[in-house]
Amino acid sequence: MALHQIQSMIRPSTLKEAWKAKAEQCESARFLGGGIDVVLYTPSSVTTLIDLAGLGLSDVREDVSGLMIGGTTTMTEAIESAAVKAYAGAFLIRVLKEVASPLQRNAATFGGTLGSAHPWSDVIPALLVLDAELDVYDGSDRAIGLEAYLEGRGNDVAPIICAIRLPGELRPARGAFATFTRTAFDVGLLNVACVGSIDGGAWKDVRIAVGGTPGLAARLRGVEKGLVGSAADDALIEEASAAAADAIDARDDLRASGEYRRILARTLVGRCLAEISEGSTG
Amino acid sequence: MTIMLRINGVSRTVDVAAGETLLEVLRREGFVGVKCGCGTGDCGACAVLLNGRAVNSCLTLAGKVDGAEILTVEGLASVERLHPLQEAFLDEGAVQCGYCTPGMLMSGIDLLTRNPNPSEDEIREAISGNLCRCTGYVKQVRAIQSAAERMRSGGDDCAT
Repeated sequence: MALHQIQSMIRPSTLKEAWKAKAEQCESARFLGGGIDVVLYTPSSVTTLIDLAGLGLSDVREDVSGLMIGGTTTMTEAIESAAVKAYAGAFLIRVLKEVASPLQRNAATFGGTLGSAHPWSDVIPALLVLDAELDVYDGSDRAIGLEAYLEGRGNDVAPIICAIRLPGELRPARGAFATFTRTAFDVGLLNVACVGSIDGGAWKDVRIAVGGTPGLAARLRGVEKGLVGSAADDALIEEASAAAADAIDARDDLRASGEYRRILARTLVGRCLAEISEGSTG
Repeated sequence: MTIMLRINGVSRTVDVAAGETLLEVLRREGFVGVKCGCGTGDCGACAVLLNGRAVNSCLTLAGKVDGAEILTVEGLASVERLHPLQEAFLDEGAVQCGYCTPGMLMSGIDLLTRNPNPSEDEIREAISGNLCRCTGYVKQVRAIQSAAERMRSGGDDCAT
């Protein structure tokens, strides 16, 4: 329904204009990407929206350094992109198709997703294991790793997310994603993203992220280290899955108990690692 | 604020509040085929095509879509006949209470515009954001399959 507190909508044509508007109005202004979270979750203190649609941030490009997804690119635009399809065995497309419905994916943007950074986000764990970097603007252009961006949220005024950059060297790796929801349309009680490859029968370059714990998604670096260089067999997957269940910051919330989330983590991490292992050896 | 919208092929100048949704604006302008079910993007009854893509109009701020092309269920039929997808919904018994139908049709149009020969899985995926509490979705899936066949064989253009 209408956001009655909103008094004005600004449509800047440059990053500088957009940032100036935000800097002048601080907490009373909010950036507008696809608009879904803005409609659903805008506090009454916000009276101005700054629409980022006119900034020309909606492209997807592939170059020697990897894949670049613009901040106002929608989920559907990414799903339909040949460059995203060609990246990491279309891993990101598989994840994006888990997000809500086509109706919402036609509007939801990557920048909006990262700006909101919901703990249940399916996209964030996937971008974490893809080692995403962000091009952001907060008065000047700068690059920041996704993990650093997420850790820094709340400390400063959130920057404008201009683009998500995914490195090229991950292309040979395989990816797997698993989420567990009460209904197909609901947000996940827990989600797991993994990428990795197997070389000479041993795990190489494994990355695991778990989200919805119910905290924000995080990499499980200790579990990853335990896998790299070790024989890719079922026993190791079982061991790593148990370690993942112990490693997550599992807590109770209205959707599930922490205990249940640890069981989910063990199962879903195991499934993801098995899928990568079977795909690499099969 | 004043925005320009091209709704079902007709350009309009519309005064909207900055926080008003496209759903509210369309219904106020008389396009009451666009239904308000949940208001939170869960049911899809409010779906319209925004620049050719189906979206939840309840989650779309009107001020954001200044200059956009909007297609609502009212814009599907011509004076002479219903759209093939509407005909298929009637023929297959895919309409019961009818509340979800406008949104379901718009998701179906979005799909068939891009994929004239969708699989059952692709159809189910395309309407996954449209809830129907009367049926088990079987008849809507059949209707979209039937419309796809009619449009392929009859040369009907899905774009209206």
